[in-house]
Amino acid sequence: MKNGPLFFFGLFASLTFSFAGVVLFSNYQLGGLAPYYDDSEGKSFPERLPGVAARGQMVYRDLGCIACHTQQVRRPSFGNDQAQGWGDRQSVARDYIHQPYPQLGAARIGQDLTNLAGRKPSALDAEDLMKLLYLGQGAMPAYKFLFQDVKVSGQVPKTALKLTGKNAPSPSHAVVPTERAQVLVAYLLSLKTAYDYPESRPVVKTAAKAEGAHK
Amino acid sequence: MSTDSNDSTAIDIHSRGPLVLLLGSGVLWLVISGVLALIASIQLHTPTFFADCAWLTFGRAQALRETAFVYGWLANVGLALGLWIAVRLGGEAMRAGNWVVVGAVFWNLGVSLSLVGIAAGDAAGHTFFQIPSYAQPLLLIAYGAIGVAGVLAWTGRRHETGFASQWYVFAALFLFPWLFSVAQVTLVWLPVRGVLQGIVAGWFAQGIYSLWLAPLALACAYYLLPKISGRVLPAYQFAVFGFWTLIVVGCWTGGRHLIGGPAPAWIATVAIAACSLMVFHYFVVFLNFRSALGTKSSALYFTSFGLLAYLLSGLVEAVISLRGVALHAQFTFVEQAAQQLSLYGAVSMVFFGALYFAVPRLVGKSWASSFLAGGHVSLVTVGVVLLVVALTAAGFAQSQTMFGATQPAKFADVASATRPWLLVATAAQVALLLGNLMLLVNFAQTVAALVPFRAAGNPVSRPALKAVLS
Amino acid sequence: MSTPPSPQGDHRFDSAANGDAELLESHAKVAGKQTDEKGNFSLLPLGLIFGSSALIFWAAVYVTKFSGHYDPKMFDETAPPSTGVEVVAKVDPIVAGKKLYLSACVACHLPDGKGIAGVNPPLAGAEWVLGSEERLARIVIHGLKGPITVKGNQYNGAMPVFGKVPGSGYNWSDDKIAAVLTYIRQEWGNNGSAVSTELVAAIRTKEGGRKEWTAEELLQIP
Repeated sequence: MKNGPLFFFGLFASLTFSFAGVVLFSNYQLGGLAPYYDDSEGKSFPERLPGVAARGQMVYRDLGCIACHTQQVRRPSFGNDQAQGWGDRQSVARDYIHQPYPQLGAARIGQDLTNLAGRKPSALDAEDLMKLLYLGQGAMPAYKFLFQDVKVSGQVPKTALKLTGKNAPSPSHAVVPTERAQVLVAYLLSLKTAYDYPESRPVVKTAAKAEGAHK
Repeated sequence: MSTDSNDSTAIDIHSRGPLVLLLGSGVLWLVISGVLALIASIQLHTPTFFADCAWLTFGRAQALRETAFVYGWLANVGLALGLWIAVRLGGEAMRAGNWVVVGAVFWNLGVSLSLVGIAAGDAAGHTFFQIPSYAQPLLLIAYGAIGVAGVLAWTGRRHETGFASQWYVFAALFLFPWLFSVAQVTLVWLPVRGVLQGIVAGWFAQGIYSLWLAPLALACAYYLLPKISGRVLPAYQFAVFGFWTLIVVGCWTGGRHLIGGPAPAWIATVAIAACSLMVFHYFVVFLNFRSALGTKSSALYFTSFGLLAYLLSGLVEAVISLRGVALHAQFTFVEQAAQQLSLYGAVSMVFFGALYFAVPRLVGKSWASSFLAGGHVSLVTVGVVLLVVALTAAGFAQSQTMFGATQPAKFADVASATRPWLLVATAAQVALLLGNLMLLVNFAQTVAALVPFRAAGNPVSRPALKAVLS
Repeated sequence: MSTPPSPQGDHRFDSAANGDAELLESHAKVAGKQTDEKGNFSLLPLGLIFGSSALIFWAAVYVTKFSGHYDPKMFDETAPPSTGVEVVAKVDPIVAGKKLYLSACVACHLPDGKGIAGVNPPLAGAEWVLGSEERLARIVIHGLKGPITVKGNQYNGAMPVFGKVPGSGYNWSDDKIAAVLTYIRQEWGNNGSAVSTELVAAIRTKEGGRKEWTAEELLQIP
């Protein structure tokens, strides 16, 4: 190569180009994204995760739940995420600003969990989720290591799972969730897209076109 | 001609130690990642497999497999082959070989540490970037040590002319540290906010493929095919345009994984346009190699297979990046099939080819067993084809049952629709693992001969080698 | 895909037909060569130029059409060419008004808008609600004190101050007041017209901060 320095400068410039375009520019656009203050509600959205749920996200992350579950809903006019009951609106950048490690995910071997706790008409409650984690369901494995089989002397612990049939532990035992299971469930119960930001509403095409035509 | 084609033997013997170390660890990691891939693959259709083991949840097994494959197998072998080509084309014996040895040792320690960390739940959690935070600086420093030999091969080169292989090797060697350190800073040390992590991670993962792994594979292909055929590559004068298209445009295509997601629309749009522009790169590669492909020997066969898979993967990427297609392909096994096609079908296959070509020259002796090599060829071919086909079919089934539904999909239906194909994928992983075990045994046997051979203190004069080479 | 090499072939060594120096030299020669020298005009460069131009053209069209105006808050690439704020759907005043009504008004006027006899007047079917927008808006902005007759019955409660005026306990913006007024004028079988934010804003600027209205004062206003 006769032009060594030029060659390396070209390499450097090429990577700088995409770095500036993708990383720096998007950081400039979204890095300062602020919570949205709604004065009819008198508070800002998204709300911060409660401390327990934030710890639960760490459990979600370290178990690698992201390998099967996404947390991003596509807009109702793009795909059938709405019909699946995963969410009525598009996930937007603002939904994630308080999350230290957003778990967007890239595979849907299981369901999307963005709005797990806000589903209508009825979402799973803590007890359902505990049982789901303990027993598994379909392609979802059972996470038995998140639970302890304890010997009961006297009163059954409050947190013990109410298991029946062949899953029930022996009479003198109870299945109790570990702290990890508890914070994980607290996190799953915090997964809600409660608020509709201006940018998450569908774009009105016909109206805007009609307006343009009038002018 | 025989003297001319063997003029590098002295150079090869000089760089034998460091490069054999890198190649050997790479092959070992390939087998380890094969075991992990098998576990993850079984878990997909039999969720109870290792379910009670927190160290091997599906998520972690998947991250382990990916890390062992990319940073264990592809990195070790890619760096070894890249340096080998750089040194050979430079025409001077390798300098700073000791640095490479030290770097290789620490790199592999770093990868081992990463795997333990991921199994314990410390994964960083992004595609191609699962390495736990504490192992990252170690890997970067180890890479630096290995890279010294690359820098010296550049500064000390004897020929002023540059060949395509050299552009690709030096681009890969030069760009990786930058990509990797940017990812470390923006994702681990000073993490960017919210969705930006997804955007940066997409950029990085694409960079790892387009600016590091693919260039290393192309360097091997541009080196091997004309060497084996003895002919000038057709339309070689356009290779330079193909090169710069990959380097300039490649990294922009990462945003295609964010289609429909919570990243601003322009990021996906630009990525889709970039995927289309990349077709030019693939076309130039096709022009350069169209008459050089063949199946006459292991090296030629693997390299040809890899190049065809590379072209196919480029087309597939351009097609599934289109929004109308992504709508159905996104989040399904089709994405995994495309990834396996690029990483296994394209890059790994070219590396296999280069491995078959390089090891006898480095060791100074033919491969120990023709049977093992032939078995490796057949099993890996069957494995890769089956794996990609099975994952694609599973993805179609998954897309149909999940994205075709107008009401909440029953995941039991999705599981039963994909199950037969996932079983085929597991069979493919078994074939790949067996094939790669054969490679490992063959490699070990071939290299084992070095030990007494070295003690004899006269590695150059091997009558057998001369006979084969001439 | 092509078949693997035949089992007879030797997998143990791949011979090279070319030395490194030779390889470099022969390719360097080609790289510097003009393809149409010797009058051998080749169509390949032309084809490549056309092909790459077509790709660049397609990419440029695609990016221009689906850029979402490079707006960080635009997630729908099919957004029509106009600024992000305008194309976003407006909040339905009935929905917003109901939310507001349920958050404050409901305590006195009750969910069915019937009020409490003698204290809080009804809103459903009330002439004060369906009549002059000017009077109605003033009641909500500044509050109301003293007796008032609604639908023939006497009431004597205290309507709090809602507007963005000094002494207000709520500080509702003009569009919130407009939304809640629109809501009460169209709920429970009421069929009044919508109240605009501009009207509320105009009244608030005109009257400024003042004490609560009385029914007599309001009746002076058209």
